[in-house]
Amino acid sequence: MMKKVILVLLILGINTINAQEIVNDTIKKTISIDSLKQAIDEHSMKFGDTEERLSTIESELAKLTKIKISGYIQAQYDMYDYQDDKGPVAGSSAQSPVTNSFYIRRARVKFAYETLDGIKFVIQPDFAVDKVSLKDAYVVLNDRWFMQTYSLTVGQFNRLNYDVEFTSNIREFLERARMTTTLYPNERDLGAKLEANFVNKYNFPLKLQLAIFNGNFGEGAIANQVRDVDSNKDVMARATYSFQFANKGLGVDVGAHGYFGSTKVLAQPVTNPVTPPAVFSDENNNPFTPNAGDTLKKDWFGVETQIYYDFLGGTSLKAEYISGTISGTTNAGQTYSAFGANKVRDFKGFYFSFTKNVGKIFQAAVRYDSFDPNSKLSGNDVTRADDLKYHTWTFAWQYFYDENVKIVFGYTMPINEKSDLVGGDYLSSNQDRKDNTFSIRLQARF
Amino acid sequence: MNTSKIKIIALLLVVMTIGFSFTTADKITIKGSDTMVILAQKWAEVYMSKNPNTAIQVTGGGSGVGLSALINGSTDIATSSRPLKTSELEKIKGRYGTLGVEVACAKDGITIYLNKANGVDELTLKQLADIYSGKITNWKQVGGADANIKLYGRENSSGTYVYFKDNVVKKDYALTCQSLPGTAAIVNAVKKDKFGIGYGGAAFDTGVKDCKIKKDANSPALVANEETIRNKTYPITRYLYMYLATKPTGANKKFIDWVLSAEGQKITTQVGYFPVR
Repeated sequence: MMKKVILVLLILGINTINAQEIVNDTIKKTISIDSLKQAIDEHSMKFGDTEERLSTIESELAKLTKIKISGYIQAQYDMYDYQDDKGPVAGSSAQSPVTNSFYIRRARVKFAYETLDGIKFVIQPDFAVDKVSLKDAYVVLNDRWFMQTYSLTVGQFNRLNYDVEFTSNIREFLERARMTTTLYPNERDLGAKLEANFVNKYNFPLKLQLAIFNGNFGEGAIANQVRDVDSNKDVMARATYSFQFANKGLGVDVGAHGYFGSTKVLAQPVTNPVTPPAVFSDENNNPFTPNAGDTLKKDWFGVETQIYYDFLGGTSLKAEYISGTISGTTNAGQTYSAFGANKVRDFKGFYFSFTKNVGKIFQAAVRYDSFDPNSKLSGNDVTRADDLKYHTWTFAWQYFYDENVKIVFGYTMPINEKSDLVGGDYLSSNQDRKDNTFSIRLQARF
Repeated sequence: MNTSKIKIIALLLVVMTIGFSFTTADKITIKGSDTMVILAQKWAEVYMSKNPNTAIQVTGGGSGVGLSALINGSTDIATSSRPLKTSELEKIKGRYGTLGVEVACAKDGITIYLNKANGVDELTLKQLADIYSGKITNWKQVGGADANIKLYGRENSSGTYVYFKDNVVKKDYALTCQSLPGTAAIVNAVKKDKFGIGYGGAAFDTGVKDCKIKKDANSPALVANEETIRNKTYPITRYLYMYLATKPTGANKKFIDWVLSAEGQKITTQVGYFPVR
C-alpha cells in the first residue's frame, strides 16, 4: 500500500513540474511584430553574408577548375632475350648478364591551364629515378574570329607526325616504330606551329600544320638542347584529311608530311698531321671532308593512313611510309644514339599495324615495321652496324582493368639485315642477332 | 625466353579474351548531358518497368563529362546536347578503333529564359549574340528598362554551353557571364533576378518567361514548340544525341531501338522536348 502511495505522489510531482515549465514559458515569452522583423533582418543579413562568401569561394573555385591535372605511370617488367645475354641494361655482359628487370618507363604529370577557350598553357614534366625532365611546355592561342579554326602553338611540343602525336598512354604498342624514334628523337622540339583545322567552322575535315623548329632536340648533351646549336631552322608541314562513312562504321584518314632541315658541321679541325679533320661518308658510303659551317642534307617526305572499321568491335589498320635523306655528326652537341655518326644517308622506312578490340576491355595488336638507314647499300656492302636494315615484329595485348588502369603484354622481335662485314655480335650470330624483349606493363592514369 | 613459354602465355591470353568477352549482363549505364537527364531518366524508368531484367543507371555531369566517360570506358552510353568534337572523335578512334556511333534521339529548341517581370519579350539572334558576348550590357539597348543585364550560363563541360557559343554567340562569352552547374540552376537564378537572362533546354522553362526569338529583324518572333521545331522555323533548334563507342548490341541495342520507337519518342514530348521524326 505504501509503495502505491509513493508512486502516485511521484507521478503527481512530475506533472506539477511539467505544468510549471509550460506556464513559465507562456508567461515570459512575448512575441511582437518588431521582434519578428528584427529576427528576419538578422537572418537576411546572415544569408546575405553567406551568399557573398559563397560567391567569393565560387569565383576562386572557378579559377581552380581552369587548371586541369592529369598524368600516368607506366611501370613494367622486362625480360631480355639478347645476344650473349648482354641485354639493353648498362653493365650487362656475358659474364654477369641482366636478363630481366623492373623498370619505370614513364611517370608524367600534365598541367593544363585554360583561361578562356582561346588560350591554353601546358607543362608536362617526366619523372625518372635520377632526374626530372621537361617533356612539354607550350602555349596555344586559338583565333577568336573563325571558331578556333586557326591556332598558334609556341614552346616545346611534338613534331608533326602521326606516330609521334599519338600519345603513349593510349597507344596500342609499348614503343613507337624504329623509324619514328630515329627520325624524331624524344618526339618533341622547340619552335612554333601554325595549325588550321577546318572542321569546326566549315565542317570540312582537313587539317593543315606548319612548324618551324630549332631542329636539334633529342640530339647531343641536354645543355645543347636548351637553345639552337646553329642558326639554321628546320621546317615541317603536314596535311591530313578524314573520310567518314558513318552509316558503314568506316573512317579513313589520309595524310602526308614533309621535313625540310639540315645538319650543320659545327667544328672541324684545321688540316694538320696531329688532328686531321673528321671524314664523313656520303649516301654511297664514300668518304668526304666537309668544312666547318657546311650544311648536310636532312629532309624527307612521308605519307600515312589510318583506317577504322566497326566490325564486331573496333578494328584499325594504320600505315606510314617515309623516305628521304638524314645526316648526323659525332659532335657532342648533335650526336644521339639512333643516328650518331659523321654521315649522310638515304633512308626508307614504313610500318603497318593492325589492332582489334574484343569487347570493351581487350585489345590485340600486331605491327610490322621496317627501317633501312642506308637504302643505297645492302648485304655485304654494309660495313657498319648502324647501316643495317631492320624489320621488327611487335605484338601487344591490352587488358583495360578499369577506366584508369590497363595491363599491356608486349613482345618486340627485331630482325636485322645480314652482312659478313659488320662483325661483332652480327658476325658471331651469322643470322639474326638476338635482341627480343618481352614486357608486362601496368599503366595507371588519372 | 623460350618459345614454349611464349606459346603458353599467348594461349592463356586468347582463352581469357574469349572468356571475359562473353560475360555481359543487362545493365546499361548512361552518363552525360544535364539537359537530357530528365529525358534519359524518364526513358529508363518506363523501359525498366517494361523490361524488369534490365537495370539502367542514369547520371548527369554535362555532355563533356559523359563523352569522357565513354572514351575511358566507364559508361555504355553518353548523352550529349552537342555533336562530338574533333578531339573527342580522335580519342574514340585511338581507344576503340571506331568513329563512335551517333544516335540522334530527340530535338530541342534552346530556350531563352527571362524573368516574368522583364519588359522585353523578344530578341533577334544578333541581339542575343551581342548580349552574351558583352557588347550589349543594358536592357534599354533592346527595348527594356534602364538596368544592367545579368548573364547566366553553363560551365564549359556543358553541351548547351558549347552549342550556344558555336551557333549563337560565335565568339567568347562575356567575362561577366555567371556559370551555373545546371539548367535548373539557371532557371532558378532568372526566376529570382528581374534583370537576369539565361539559356537552356525547352523542358526546363517553368516559372520563367520564354523569350521569343527572331532569326533577324524582319523574321517572325517565335518560341520553341512542336510546330516551330518540326517546321524548322525556330532559329535555335538542335538535336540531342546518344553516343556509343561501337555499334550497339544486346541490351544496349534493344534500349536504343525502343528509344527511337514511337513509344520512346512519345516520352520526349511528355518531358518537354520534341521527337526526331
